[in-house]
Amino acid sequence: MNKKKHLFAEDSFFLSRRKFMAVGAAFVAALAIPIGWFTCKLERRNEYIKARSQGLYKDDSLAKTRVSHANPAVEKYYKEFGGEPLGHMSHELLHTHFVDRTKLNS
Amino acid sequence: MTTTTYQPGEIQGLIKINASKCKGCDACKQFCPTHAIHGASGAVHSIDEDKCLSCGQCLINCPFSAIEETHSALETVIKKLADKNTTVVGIIAPAVRVAIGEEFGLGTGELVTGKLYGAMNQAGFKIFDCNFAADLTIMEEGSEFIHRLHANVKGEANAGPLPQFTSCCPGWVRYLETRYPALLPNLSTAKSPQQMAGAVAKTYGAKVYQMQPENIFTVSVMPCTSKKLEASRPEFNSAWQYHQEHGGNSPSYQDIDAVLTTREMAQLLKMLDIDLANTEEYQGDSLFSEYTGAGTIFGTTGGVMEAALRTAHKVLTGTEMAKLEFEPVRGLKGVKSASVSLFDTELNQDVTVNVAVVHDMGNNIEPVLRDVMAGTSPYHFIEVMNCAGGCVNGGGQPIEGKGSSWLGNI
Repeated sequence: MNKKKHLFAEDSFFLSRRKFMAVGAAFVAALAIPIGWFTCKLERRNEYIKARSQGLYKDDSLAKTRVSHANPAVEKYYKEFGGEPLGHMSHELLHTHFVDRTKLNS
Repeated sequence: MTTTTYQPGEIQGLIKINASKCKGCDACKQFCPTHAIHGASGAVHSIDEDKCLSCGQCLINCPFSAIEETHSALETVIKKLADKNTTVVGIIAPAVRVAIGEEFGLGTGELVTGKLYGAMNQAGFKIFDCNFAADLTIMEEGSEFIHRLHANVKGEANAGPLPQFTSCCPGWVRYLETRYPALLPNLSTAKSPQQMAGAVAKTYGAKVYQMQPENIFTVSVMPCTSKKLEASRPEFNSAWQYHQEHGGNSPSYQDIDAVLTTREMAQLLKMLDIDLANTEEYQGDSLFSEYTGAGTIFGTTGGVMEAALRTAHKVLTGTEMAKLEFEPVRGLKGVKSASVSLFDTELNQDVTVNVAVVHDMGNNIEPVLRDVMAGTSPYHFIEVMNCAGGCVNGGGQPIEGKGSSWLGNI
């Protein structure tokens, strides 16, 4: 009779070549997913950034007036109210100062 | 006493990570310009409020929608719209018109200015295009640059330092204020278009609308979360100060009363059952909706510089630029630079102006600032925007993939 005489400890860990490949592939795939996401996300980001920018450049090329100093409403603002760029009113309403935020306490 | 990077009254901790949704995937850290996000991979992350610029880049790029805003003015705005005694002025930023359509099923980047005006008019807003204020910004910031340039060429004392930085982007301004206070004199003192719009709407605008300034409620619609923080800065109550000096007597109010992001404006229109995609186009109701092509390109990287050069060319040489499209400052390169040679009629000599445009600030600004501090920067005028691509990709814009970002809640 071919009675089994030995027990191999290795048996319990046995992984066929086929299974090893499958587990390995699953592992690599799991690693690749976040990388894939990220590159894909970045590419898509560029695409929608480009599409929105194109929209604005289109708005520019369609505009009747394309330079700020020729905006009739801006001229009217300075004439009726604001005076002139960098003038007294501009200083009051259109300019500001900045804050050194390394020195603030609460 | 503890140190802080906020002035009293400013919105603090606008961007927050929801601990129950955060998976600790680290995606947000890749997008944070100041490395303000802490937490080990796999553990719940948190934001250091003192470092945070409130730019919202982490928020729009979180795969699990785990990052949220803590302040929304949506309900206040809806109440004000219903109040008959209040004139609600809607101030529309350039980048909103090419993004809000996405929330109503229109194509990415579709230009919907007329429909947006129409929808907001239907909701009860007066239309104040922030592009008009962008044109004002060019007049002020451009004049300031020319003033600094001439003063430096002539060697005058008290000439403002060059390079001059643009000051439209609140993330960038806060970055300098928290990290490089020595460079603050290089920032243009011109306010951002949002703040100019608010100050003008409640002074000159009060005359145009024939309203008391106290009854004007200004709502800016911005592609940006950081604009909420900017509007809350205590010094931005210029209109109130102006009226106090002219006999007014009322409790202080801010130039901008409320800021809605592009996403929140879409939400507001939906709550009021207004379908932007099927709204009649509308032209606007006052001179504040008149804007130029130069104002509208503020919303993309390089746009402020291009607009400023168009006006500077006219002021310095007396003639318009032959070709208005200035290609070297367009596109998505991290740092773009160009030289413009022109004949300066006031100095009666040729001058060459070197300009640079920086976006995706966290990845690109440091080398530029190092040169400026070392005094070796070749540039005279530098535009900086925090977000990659400029405001079109701001933290308040519609999120690609609709609401649940990339994955949804797993």
